[in-house]
Amino acid sequence: MIDVFDVLLGVAVLLGAAAALYGSRRIVGVMSFLVLGLLLTVLWARLGAPDIAIAEAAIASGVTGAFLLAAATDHPETSHEEGNVGRRTLMVLEAAIGVSAVTLVGVAAVSAARIAPADPLEVQASAAVADAVVDHPITAVLLDFRAYDTLLEIAVLAAAVVAALALLCDSRLTRVAWVTETRPVVLGFVRLIAPVVVMLAGWLLVAGSTRPGGAFQAGAMLTGVFLLLYLSGRARSMVTGKWLVPAALIGLAVFVAAGVGTFAAGREWLDVADGWGGVVVLLIEAALTVSIGAGLAALFIAGNPERA
Amino acid sequence: MSRAELFIIVGVALFVFGAARMLLTGDLIRRVVALNVAGAGVFLILMSLATVRDASEPDPVLHALVLTGIVITVSITGFALALIRRIERTEIVRSGPRESDG
Repeated sequence: MIDVFDVLLGVAVLLGAAAALYGSRRIVGVMSFLVLGLLLTVLWARLGAPDIAIAEAAIASGVTGAFLLAAATDHPETSHEEGNVGRRTLMVLEAAIGVSAVTLVGVAAVSAARIAPADPLEVQASAAVADAVVDHPITAVLLDFRAYDTLLEIAVLAAAVVAALALLCDSRLTRVAWVTETRPVVLGFVRLIAPVVVMLAGWLLVAGSTRPGGAFQAGAMLTGVFLLLYLSGRARSMVTGKWLVPAALIGLAVFVAAGVGTFAAGREWLDVADGWGGVVVLLIEAALTVSIGAGLAALFIAGNPERA
Repeated sequence: MSRAELFIIVGVALFVFGAARMLLTGDLIRRVVALNVAGAGVFLILMSLATVRDASEPDPVLHALVLTGIVITVSITGFALALIRRIERTEIVRSGPRESDG
């Protein structure tokens, strides 16, 4: 049943979203969105989802926050002044439409949630985890039962990276104006924290087979390391030049290769065998981690190629 | 009214108001933020549905879908912001001389 904490959390999420959507300046909206991400992390933990909580903290709040902050600090003021044609009317209209839509969709969603399905998918999935190549149910779903979803997801990421790099004249990021950082405290902190975060990413990657964690959380950690090194001027370790696109595509490549391999071995597409399954899944996940780490970092730098 | 239903309603509210703001605002960055808020609403609905049948053992299929969705959202956000910054840099170069040469 509901307790007070749930209600407070729900109200806080709504307030955070309101500030993110209706903040007067860009930077206010972006900061409120970061707060909303933190609240959602607590909420996912509350709903019994440690995997999603880690992913939210690392990817949805961390990396998205870095993207949004970099963009908002470029131009803190709103760009297109909204025309004052009946602004009040528009606001009233938006509120009315919003409230009525929330009522309608909310009632529909809650009534739909009350219908118990005859043969729930989650029961099938939980029953099949015993035969899967990894023990952790979410990793089993991602890389064994519904590997297609994950394959297409990494394809979306690769497409986004290639498209963002295509916007630049310098599409290999070889001539980026690197940041220079001289503050000893920052440099010392980065030197201390970077190896620790890399180790944590490796642990998350390997732990994903048996407990919460996996390629996506580990990849986001790696992105964090790249961004730390980039922002503190230690860019030598950033993947650029001729290795950039291969690093962003290796996850997709290994995934497709695994599919071709299983197909060539006379099994179904992406149906990994039991004997090798665990190794293959870990290999795919390692490649995904590299791709996500390098790809998201490249997306960040591609949005920020020159410093005026 | 259970905990899952409360959070479904919160998720619906995030989705509806996020989508409305995304369609009605003229500011590009705010549009991306609104898209992310609407996406968070959808994730919240899915995550609440995962706990409906058995709160102690949530549905791994929905969790995997949300995890996939989070990565896709951040990819699209990154690409959208790269486009937006490109657009605004062009506008600055056109509206006034400033030394920014890529």
